[in-house]
Amino acid sequence: MSPEIIYTPDSLLRRPRFLLWTMWHDLLASRELAWRLMVRDIRAQYRQSFFGFAWSFIPPIVMAVGFTLAGNSNVINVGETDIPYPAYVMFSTSLWQTFIDAVTGPVQAVTKAKPMLARVNFPREAIILAKVGEVIFNFGIKLFLIAGIFIWFQIAVPWTIVIAPVALMHLILLGTLFGALLSPLGVLYQDVQRSLTIITGFWLVITPVVYPVPKEGLFGLLVKLNPVTPLLVTTRELATTGVLSEVPGFWVVSAGTFVGLIVVWIVFRIAMPYVVERVSS
Amino acid sequence: MVTQVEQQATVPTVARSEEDVVLSVNDVSKKFCRDLRKSLFYGVQDIVSDLMGGRRHSETLRSKEFWALQAITFNLHRGEALGLIGANGAGKSTLLRILSGLIKPDKGCVKVRGRLAPLIALGAGFNPILTGRENIYANMSVLGLSTQEIEDRFDDVVDFAEIKEAIDAPVQTYSSGMAARLGFACAIHTEPDILLIDEVLAVGDIRFRAKCTRKLAEIRQKGTSFILVNHKPAAILSICDKAVYLKQGRVLSAGDTNLIVRQYEEDLMLKDVGSVDNQIKLPPKADHESSGIDITHALFRDEWGQAIASIYMGQSVYCCVGLQVRSPFQGIYWKCKISDLSRESETVLDLNSDYDGCLFDVTTGHQEMQVKLPTLGLRPGVYTMDIYVVKKPQHCFDIVKNFKFGVEIPPDSKFLIERNLYYQQRQWSLRSC
Repeated sequence: MSPEIIYTPDSLLRRPRFLLWTMWHDLLASRELAWRLMVRDIRAQYRQSFFGFAWSFIPPIVMAVGFTLAGNSNVINVGETDIPYPAYVMFSTSLWQTFIDAVTGPVQAVTKAKPMLARVNFPREAIILAKVGEVIFNFGIKLFLIAGIFIWFQIAVPWTIVIAPVALMHLILLGTLFGALLSPLGVLYQDVQRSLTIITGFWLVITPVVYPVPKEGLFGLLVKLNPVTPLLVTTRELATTGVLSEVPGFWVVSAGTFVGLIVVWIVFRIAMPYVVERVSS
Repeated sequence: MVTQVEQQATVPTVARSEEDVVLSVNDVSKKFCRDLRKSLFYGVQDIVSDLMGGRRHSETLRSKEFWALQAITFNLHRGEALGLIGANGAGKSTLLRILSGLIKPDKGCVKVRGRLAPLIALGAGFNPILTGRENIYANMSVLGLSTQEIEDRFDDVVDFAEIKEAIDAPVQTYSSGMAARLGFACAIHTEPDILLIDEVLAVGDIRFRAKCTRKLAEIRQKGTSFILVNHKPAAILSICDKAVYLKQGRVLSAGDTNLIVRQYEEDLMLKDVGSVDNQIKLPPKADHESSGIDITHALFRDEWGQAIASIYMGQSVYCCVGLQVRSPFQGIYWKCKISDLSRESETVLDLNSDYDGCLFDVTTGHQEMQVKLPTLGLRPGVYTMDIYVVKKPQHCFDIVKNFKFGVEIPPDSKFLIERNLYYQQRQWSLRSC
């Protein structure tokens, strides 16, 4: 006999054991579905595109060319970077792009899945997991570009590059944390997607992507308080110099990310039925 | 016949135990909001109060909210098929969404035992760019099957959907019928314990629909329980043994399908009958408006010439049209065209005295033309009549359009409106030979 499922108006938080059991159960159940959705989305994404994989390369290259030209003509003064500046920008932009994909991915995916959400009761986690998978896949494509840069600029690779994927994973999870938190709201209000564009624009400015970490001033403080900074910088340092400058910050943000993910997961689960209720089927 | 029906109705409660209940709906209510802005805000409000772990006071209505469902209670047993009927907006789909766990009830509780699959979601998750093959995997995965299970059923799905030659073409190149067939095939092959079917039997052509009905009967024999939603009772009559009639969010009645469907039809088709006058009186026309003969009234009379208020099916009635004749004419005929409002104003009867070889000579003054309908064959419902008074060959004196009248079921008689397009007069007998 299969177990009995009960739907009541009460908050799931009043039934913590049931909540945790369903969360665990749905996480297991959603693995295969997440894989399917990921394969579906990636195939559709590249099949309907002429340039295909090139779209992963173009933004970092454009950024690098732009900022290198600006730096050379002294329009902006970014200071010394550990590795050649174009390589620095291209690599950092790839990392940043990956983070932003992890933020916007869940919001867009949940909004796009509206008709499906309104009709089928499948584990909602699958949408988020599929997006995380897609972000990782897209970064994998960018790896070709990154490898190319490293060879072209003859950057020596330290042994710590082996751990870099771990730090990168933390960066992706931080992005997913924000994305998953915003996604239920994003289905209800279009404001979320609009403000995301503005926020990520500003966020880029206070993240050391096109400049090295500043030490002084209000700007330096903003950059320091930015949770993306330690994760992105540590990933970059692990892959390039091997000398880490943001270790405490890295652990603080990582711990926060993991605790936050559990909380956001619960919020997401509780919020989804209310969201589905407000969208038509 | 009647006793047999009642016996059937009592069977489930006697023979089936508590153990057998696969779905139990207990006092479920749900409220909705008609104002979008408020609705979205309430959504956020609900999320926040739920996250605080507090009560959302879901049992009280906020401003602009209304009860879309109220105090719904019923049980579904293993292998049973239950029909949900009700007009549009009665809350059928909302109820299905609560049963499938998509939205939370605001009051009461739902208990589900076993895997429940909605057949509401035909083609949910179809991506038009991808091929049919890829979409089958994605779609069935969304419906809760593992890759192994999908692979096992893949050939059956393709065979059932009859798209073997197009399986590797993008779904956007499919005809709408093909896509719908593929969606249905995916959903039906998930083999759940409880199947929710929401007005989807209308996909594809007649042949495919028959195939779907056969397939449903087949999986029902395997012990799958159904809830079938439809606003056309014919589908429910053919599949379900129990029915629940929803009206404005409430269970109006529940029980044996035949009885419930009859009640629903009578409500639906006869709801306007009482409000119809069955006669019309027209104001006199001015001289310049008249073309010689004016229609003054239209009504029905019985055998004794009395105007009748209620017209009964099978009764002997006279349809009468009063005329004000200003000067004598010869070779006048009249016709009336009757349209059934419950069949989207389809013309069901066109009477023409000329076709029947009856031409009249009228003299000045008040006159009434009558046509006797010895056994009224119109089934119960509301009709409109258009009346034309014409002189041969083509001169039309006056026209009355949309004269509304209702036909009722005679007291103490039974008639299934959905299954009878007209009333056939008959006599039953038994002879020895």
